[in-house]
Amino acid sequence: MSGKPHRLAEGGSRIDRNARVSFTFDGRQLSGFAGDTLASSVMASGQRLFGRSFKYHRPRGLVGLGSEEMNALVGVGLAGRHEPNLRATQVEIHDGLAAVSQNRWPSLTFDVGAFNNKLSRFLPGGFYYKTFMWPKSFWKHVYEPAIRKAAGLGRAAEERDPDAYEHMHIHADVVVVGGGIAGLTAAEAAAASGLRVLVIDENAALGGIADLVAGRIGDGCVADIVPALVVRLNAMGNVHILARTTAIGHYHHNYLMAAERVADHDPALLAAGAPRHRLWKIRAGHIILATGALERPIAFANNDRPGIMLASAVRGLLARQAVAPGSTGIVFTNNDDAYLTAFALKSAGIAVRIVDSRQRPDGDLVTRAVTEGFDVSFGSVISKVEGTFAVKAAKIAAYRKGQGRVITEKRVACDFIAMSGGFNPVLHLWCHNGGKIRFDEQLASFRPDTHADAITAIGAANGTMSVAETLREALATGEAAAKSVNARAKASKIKPQSVEEPKRGALEPLWFAPATGGYNEGNKHFIDFQNDVTVADLELAQREGYESVEHTKRYTTLGMATDQGKTSNINGLGVLSEATGKAIPEIGTTTFRPPYTPYSFGAIAGALTGKLFLPVRRTPIFQWHTDRGAVFEPVGQWRRAYTYPALGEDKQAAITREILCVRNKVGLLDASTLGKIEIKGPDAAEFLDRVYTNTFSTLKMGKCRYGLMMNELGFLTDDGVTVRLADDHFLMHTTSGGADRISAWLEEWLQTEWTQYKVFVTPVTEQWAQFAIAGPKAREVLARLEPDFDLSNEAFPHMSFKAGRLGGHPVRVFRISFSGEQSYEVATPANLGQGLWDAIIAAGRDFGIEPYGTEALHVLRAEKGYIVIGDETDGTTTPFDVGLSGLVSKKKADFLGKRSLEQAYLKGPNRKQLVGLLTDDPNDVLPDGAYAVREVKDKPPMEMIGQVTSSYLSPTLGRSIAMALIENGHARMGELISFPLEGGKVVKAKITSTVFYDQDGGRIHA
Amino acid sequence: MIVVTCPVCGAKGDETDFHYGGQAHIARPATTDPANITDEQQRDYLFIRHNPRGLHFERWRCDRGCGKWFHAARDTVTMAFKAFYGITELPPEELQKQAKGPWADEFKRRAKVKA
Amino acid sequence: MPNTWLESRFETPLAHRATSDNTYVSMREISERGMIDLRGLATDRKFMVAAKSILGLDLPKQPRTSASWGDVKVLWLSPDQWLITCARAKAQALADDMATALAGLHALCVNVSDMRAVIRLEGERSREVVMKGATLDLTDGNYPPGTVRRMLFAEVAALLHVVEDNVIDIYVFRSFADYAWEFLLKAARKGSEVAVLSRR
Repeated sequence: MSGKPHRLAEGGSRIDRNARVSFTFDGRQLSGFAGDTLASSVMASGQRLFGRSFKYHRPRGLVGLGSEEMNALVGVGLAGRHEPNLRATQVEIHDGLAAVSQNRWPSLTFDVGAFNNKLSRFLPGGFYYKTFMWPKSFWKHVYEPAIRKAAGLGRAAEERDPDAYEHMHIHADVVVVGGGIAGLTAAEAAAASGLRVLVIDENAALGGIADLVAGRIGDGCVADIVPALVVRLNAMGNVHILARTTAIGHYHHNYLMAAERVADHDPALLAAGAPRHRLWKIRAGHIILATGALERPIAFANNDRPGIMLASAVRGLLARQAVAPGSTGIVFTNNDDAYLTAFALKSAGIAVRIVDSRQRPDGDLVTRAVTEGFDVSFGSVISKVEGTFAVKAAKIAAYRKGQGRVITEKRVACDFIAMSGGFNPVLHLWCHNGGKIRFDEQLASFRPDTHADAITAIGAANGTMSVAETLREALATGEAAAKSVNARAKASKIKPQSVEEPKRGALEPLWFAPATGGYNEGNKHFIDFQNDVTVADLELAQREGYESVEHTKRYTTLGMATDQGKTSNINGLGVLSEATGKAIPEIGTTTFRPPYTPYSFGAIAGALTGKLFLPVRRTPIFQWHTDRGAVFEPVGQWRRAYTYPALGEDKQAAITREILCVRNKVGLLDASTLGKIEIKGPDAAEFLDRVYTNTFSTLKMGKCRYGLMMNELGFLTDDGVTVRLADDHFLMHTTSGGADRISAWLEEWLQTEWTQYKVFVTPVTEQWAQFAIAGPKAREVLARLEPDFDLSNEAFPHMSFKAGRLGGHPVRVFRISFSGEQSYEVATPANLGQGLWDAIIAAGRDFGIEPYGTEALHVLRAEKGYIVIGDETDGTTTPFDVGLSGLVSKKKADFLGKRSLEQAYLKGPNRKQLVGLLTDDPNDVLPDGAYAVREVKDKPPMEMIGQVTSSYLSPTLGRSIAMALIENGHARMGELISFPLEGGKVVKAKITSTVFYDQDGGRIHA
Repeated sequence: MIVVTCPVCGAKGDETDFHYGGQAHIARPATTDPANITDEQQRDYLFIRHNPRGLHFERWRCDRGCGKWFHAARDTVTMAFKAFYGITELPPEELQKQAKGPWADEFKRRAKVKA
Repeated sequence: MPNTWLESRFETPLAHRATSDNTYVSMREISERGMIDLRGLATDRKFMVAAKSILGLDLPKQPRTSASWGDVKVLWLSPDQWLITCARAKAQALADDMATALAGLHALCVNVSDMRAVIRLEGERSREVVMKGATLDLTDGNYPPGTVRRMLFAEVAALLHVVEDNVIDIYVFRSFADYAWEFLLKAARKGSEVAVLSRR
C-alpha cells in the first residue's frame, strides 16, 4: 500500500480552514490551518517521518497525541530563540514558525547513524558499559566523540536568547491539575466555596480528551459540557485558568511548579512585552490531580515503524485536525477503547480492520463492531510489520496468552496501525513527592494509593475510566478539597448530570506480542521508543543479573531522560514480570522525577539574567568610580574599585602609582563596604569579651581596638576595629564580606545562648559612606576640611576616635590604618558621601591626593604584614597560626572558640604558620596559592609543606614580597624553601618576618 | 520548598525567608563550666549530630522577618512540622515524650534541673 | 572653604535613575523620608513610655503592623525593634530627642535615614508586581493597609509596607537600590501583566 497521511476534505473541530498558516519544517515550506499542531500539519502534508531514534537511528514517526509523544521531538525557533526537544504534538503552528527534526545527519531520509541499526546485535542493553571499555584510552579520544556526534537529542542555541522570562508566585486554596472534564468539574465544585481555585492545563484548549470518549451527558455528547463549564469558571472571580501550562513538579508542603508557554504560539505577544515563558511557583492548600491517563503502546515486532501510532492519537488527529494517518489501517488492541478509533476511521472513509488479542471480549463497543460488520480477528496479534520508512504490511497471527513464538501468520497490506495496550493513570506528580501507588489488576497498571500531602487524584488519573464515575468523583473531591482548606466552606450544590456510556469489557494485559523469529533477527519489540530499549534488552538485563528494577533502568536506560517512562514504564515492568515470573507489584517501580516534560532554561532563570543575574551592591561613590574609569572587583556582592588606570596606563602601572602616592603623599580609599554594627547595652562590653579573642571591656572611651573573632572550632572567621562610643555603647567594624554574617552571628549568640545579656545589636553598614585618607599628608588634608576637633597627634593619636563636624556637618573619624601610614577613616551619612568625597579630593589637590583601589590597599597592608581573613586564613586557621597569639586572652574564662584552641591538634608542632617570604630573585612574584614542598622532585607527587597566601610586587620595596602558611614556619626563620611551579620552574624563597616595611611602626603614629 | 511559621511574629512563608540552624537543644559546655570540659564533651558539642528517621528537633531563624531564632519539631519523613516553639523553650510535653536519642536525655536533664 | 559642598551633592540611592513610562504600575523613589531604627523591649514599661513621650503614639506591639501620628509612622520590625519614619529634615532632631528621653534605659536609637532606598509602587496591580519577586501571599487578606513585613525580594532583603490597598513601599538597603529598581522595571513591564487570584 502506498497510502500517505492526508487531510480529509471536511471535519476537524480545532482547525479553521479559512486561516492558512505557513511555516517550515527542515527548511521545507509547509502550510496548515490555524488550530493545527506541528504534528498534524506535517502529517497533513503527507510526511510521516519526524526523526531518528536515539541509538539505532531508526526512522521514526508520530506516535502520541500530546505530552506523551516520544518520537516526534523537534527544535523550534531560529538563532537565540531555538528551543530543542519539543513534542511536535504540543507545538502550535503560527506564520513564520521554523521547526527542524533532530538526531539525524545529514538528513531525515538519509542518515549515516542508521548504520547502528545494522550493528544492533552488537548494541544490546548495557552496550555502553560493555563495548567501549577497552582500550581505556579510546574512550576519551575515539568512542566518546563518535557517540556524542551520533547520539543525543536536540541542539541548544548558542546565541543569547533575546526574550524575557519571569517567575510568578501564587497561592491558591485548591489547585486542579488537568483541565479535562474531571478537572473542570472539580474546579467548579471547589470554587463554589469562594476559595481561590487555580486550574492548570498543558494544552491550549481545555476539555482534555472529552471529545474522544464515548457516551452522552444529558442531551449531548461528553465534550458538549466543556464550553459552558469554562464560561462559568471564567465568570467566577476566584478562579484562574492557566492554559498552555505544564505542572512540571510537585514538592514538599504542596508546592507546585508550572511552566507556562505564554507567547510561543503567538510571537506578537513578545513584541507587546509578554514574557515567552513564565514559571509559576504555586503554594496550594489542596491539590486535585486530574491528569488523565496515557495510552500504552504494544510490544510487537518493529512496532516503531512510522505509521504506527497510539489509537487515541489516531482518533484525535481525525477528530481535531481532520488528518488521516493513511488509507488502510489496522487497529491492534487488548481493550475496548481502541474500537472507538476503528469507528472514527470508518466514518472518515478509511479502510480498517481490528486485531484484538482477547479471545472473547464482550463489551458494548466490541458487539457494535461485530454488528457493523468490521473485520475483527479475536485472539490475534500483529506478529510483524514490514516497511522501514513507512508501514507496508503487517502479519497477523493467532495468539494465546503465554505463547512465546508464532508458527503461522498471514500478511495483510496496510499503511498504518493504531495500537492500544491499555491506559496508565498519569502518576508523575503523585509520585514526585513520595505518594504511594498500588497495582490494579483490572487496569493492569498502577493507581494512586496514599500521600502525606493534601492531594487527591480523580478520574482517569485515579484509574477511574467511566465518565459517570469520574464526574461523581470530581464533584465530591472538589467540595471535599474546599472543606479541607476551610472547614466552613459552602457546599457546591451542583448535581451530577445523567450519563450514558457503553459497558466496557475487561482488558487483558499484553506485554509482548510474539513473532516468528528471534528478537534480533530484524524483529525489535520496542518498549521505550525514546531510549531505544527493547524487550530483548530488558530480558538480557534480567539474565545478566540486574534483578532490581532500578538497576535494570540504569543498565538499559529504560524510562530515563525527557520521557520519564510515560509510555514505557508499565510495559517494561510487564516484560520484567514475565521474564522473572514475579507479579508486577513485586517487581516494584522506578521513581518518576520532575519535570513531567522538559521546560526551558529561560523559565528556570526567569527575570534573573543579565544585570539581574546577581545582586551587585554599589557604594555611594560607585558612579564616580565608574566615571573615573575604575576597574572593579567583586568583594562578596559588592563591586569595589580595584584600581584607577589613567588613559593609556596599564593596571600594574596604575596600582604602583597609587601605592607610591599613599606612601609618599596621600591617597583616598572608598571603604564604605566595611561592616559597621552598633552594639549597646549594660552588658555590651562583657558580650564583646565573649565574641572576640581579646578583651574589650578594658577599652577606653573614644579609643579603637583591633579584634579577632573565632568560631567555636577555634578558627578565625573575622577581624576588625571596634571603638567605644560610650560606656555601654560600641561601634564594631567587620570585614566587607562579613558584615551580614557577623551581625547575624552576634544576634544568634545573644538570642540563643547568653539570653541574660542586655545588649542590642543594630547593623548600620549602609548608613555611612566611609573613606580612608592615608599617607604622610593625611592630617594636612583633613585640616583643610575645617574640622571642629583637634587633629594634633596628642589630641587625636593613632587608634582613637572623634565624632564631630567637618565643614559644619556631622562625621565620625577613626584614626586607624590598614596601610601602615598615618590614616584617618572618615564616615558621613551615605547620601552626603559623594559630596564629602569631592571635598576631600579638592582639599587634597595641593598635596597630590589620588584615589587608590583595593589592589593598592592589599599591597600596602601586605608590606606591613597585616592579614586579610580569607587570604591568610582558610577556615582552618587559628590566631596562633597567623602569629597573633598576643590577641588571644589568657585571662578570660570563656570566649567563642577558646576551648577548641586547647585541643592538642591545634597546638601541635606541625601546624602551618604564617611567615613572610622573600624570593631569591626579587623579580620573581610567586603565584597566589603556590605550594612549598619539602623536597623538589622530577615530577609530582612532592610532599607539600605549605602554600602562598598573598604575593605582590612591592613598589615601596622595589621587589616581590609574599606571605605563606608554612609547616612549623615560625621556627624556620631564614630557611630557604622551594616552590615548584607549573612548567617546571622552581622558585626559592627565604622565610622572614611578615612585616616588610616600617618595622617599628613609626609612620603610623606620625 | 517547605513552609515555616515563626512562633515569635507569626510570619508564615517559604523556607527561603528563613534560615535553618541545625539540631536543637545542644547544651554548650563552656557556658556553664568553661574550666572543666573534657575532650569528649567538646567533641559531642561540636560534631556529634543525631540524624533520625522521624521526629527531629531543630533551630530556625526568621531570617527575612523579625530576625528571631526559634525551635521547630519536624518529621524528617513527611517533612511535616509538629510544633514551633520559642528558642528558650522546650517542645510540647507530648513531643518530649516521643523524643529519642540525645533529645530524650536532654529533656529529662532539663526537667530535673527545673524540679 | 565654603560649607556648601555637602548640600550641593546630596544624593539619594536612586537619584540617577529616571522613571519609566513602560511599567504597568507607577514606580518612584521616595527620597524625602527620614528613618530611625529604635530598639528596646516592648515589655519594658519605662522604655515604652519614654518612646511615646517623643513620638506621641504607642509603639505598635502587634507583629507586622504600623502606627502613625501626623507625619510620623512607626513600623514594627521585631518584638524589640521599630523603624520610625518621618520627614528627612526632622530625623536627626527626633533621634536626638529620643536618645535623650531614653537615657539610662536599655535601648538603642540610631538615625538610619541614609541606609535604605524607598521605592513606591502605585497602581491596581502593585501587589502582583511584588509577588513576581516574593513568595508572600499578598492576596489572602493578611496584608491590609498598614501591614509591614520584611521579606526576600528577588534576591535581596527588603521591607514591605502596604501603605494603601494599591500603594506599596518597598525598602531595600541602599547598595541594592539599583538592583531592586532594575528588577521592578522588568517585573512591571507593560505586557507582562498576570491575573492574581483572590477569594470571593
